[in-house]
Amino acid sequence: MNSNSTPSAAPPVARLIEAFNRLPGVGPKSAQRLTYYMIRMPREEAEALSEALISVKDRIVLCTKCLNITEDPICPVCNSERRDRSRICVVEEPLDVLAIERTRAYDGLYHVLHGSISPVNGIGAEQLKIRELLDRLRDESVTELILATNPNLEGEATSMYLQRLISPLGIKVTRLARGLSSGADLEYADEMTLANALQGRSEIPDNGAPPTN
Amino acid sequence: MVSSRPTLFTTEAIVLRHSDIGEADRLLWLLTPQRGVIRATARGARKPASKLGGHIDLLYYVKLSIREGRELHGVSQADTIDAFRAVRTDIGRLSRGLYMAELAQRVSVEDAPAPAVFHLLVKSLQWLTNTENADTLVRWFALRLLTVTGFKPEFGACAECGDQLDPGDHVFSAERGGLICPRCRSQGSDVLQPANLSTIKVLRHLARSDFPMVSALNIGSEERRQTERILRSHTNTVVDRGVRSSAFLDEVRDWPDDGPVPGGMRADF
Repeated sequence: MNSNSTPSAAPPVARLIEAFNRLPGVGPKSAQRLTYYMIRMPREEAEALSEALISVKDRIVLCTKCLNITEDPICPVCNSERRDRSRICVVEEPLDVLAIERTRAYDGLYHVLHGSISPVNGIGAEQLKIRELLDRLRDESVTELILATNPNLEGEATSMYLQRLISPLGIKVTRLARGLSSGADLEYADEMTLANALQGRSEIPDNGAPPTN
Repeated sequence: MVSSRPTLFTTEAIVLRHSDIGEADRLLWLLTPQRGVIRATARGARKPASKLGGHIDLLYYVKLSIREGRELHGVSQADTIDAFRAVRTDIGRLSRGLYMAELAQRVSVEDAPAPAVFHLLVKSLQWLTNTENADTLVRWFALRLLTVTGFKPEFGACAECGDQLDPGDHVFSAERGGLICPRCRSQGSDVLQPANLSTIKVLRHLARSDFPMVSALNIGSEERRQTERILRSHTNTVVDRGVRSSAFLDEVRDWPDDGPVPGGMRADF
């Protein structure tokens, strides 16, 4: 415990500050603010929060198929008979599944890698759930793999890696379109984004409907 | 009266490393000519409509306006000079670019001018976009980087006694910083790498020539192996704890341009 950062705090308070400080994006000041907010919190709320934390640790597992976070051994998406089992969308993190589900534009399955290849941080393919993906492709009748990794260098490296592994197997490998985001200004777009947008341009149909590929 | 207005400065930079912080911010490790490696935050850079996000990905060569901070600086504007598109879209070139960038970061000191390292990395990434000999470029880069940062290995004389080396086969000691003559060979308990006469010629050529002069160098397989081991062992001694991205470079180095890939992760059905 770092007693230097909270020299006058009582030990239980210092312990909580330290615990908050370990969370991503929470600095020492925010950790102190959260702690003193919790001290003033009604006991029932504090108990509900602590129960929620414990139940996340006790009841949450990884889906044995897609490795998304779930309460059951097989998640609702993998269990659903309505989903198209011929397509798997590969994402980096469980939160990416939620983002794609919010679009209501995809009805296939998912596979969560739990990270991306990051050579500078020493994270290679072995640390990701790539072997599990290859096992699924071996066992399930998948015809298309959609690579939905982040459009940054690590995400691209992961996509290129998977594309090189899987393309020779005769499975169609696609990736999300790259280009300008809705509401963005063209003048601020970087050259990679603009080049990708030009490369992925599509014809506008006569009826003015949004173009489809 | 001390002014509280933050100082703004403009600099060219290469993005060497990044990590996510806060809700949508990014912490960047930047290599700059005048200040060496600096750390700066880019607020909101992970949001899709961010004006910064598209310019500050890894290996981007950019022009930045930066607000000076006490511990961390803050990026206020970014423009891309070169995204090295051909490097980012080819996994083999990318692995080499990341290796060079990490090496540059590991030998650089925070907030100390590093114009030679900066221009070396920019030039090398530009060459990496179109060279047919990316492995020679990485070896040349490593050797030149060690030279400009004061860690140049000794290839002319014995690193132990200083005597000129007779033409012939010798050994290299990373711990002692160079080639070792037969008389001094048994004096240490360090790991010695074999260096035959051809390897020594290759190393001397790499050390004294600019990359365009060595890019077409046809190096035999034994000499290539020895050169690689010597430079890796010396680099690892200098940077301590090894270069993390070397594992990825080693994995994809021998992948063919297309078709099935070799190695442990291969998808055999």
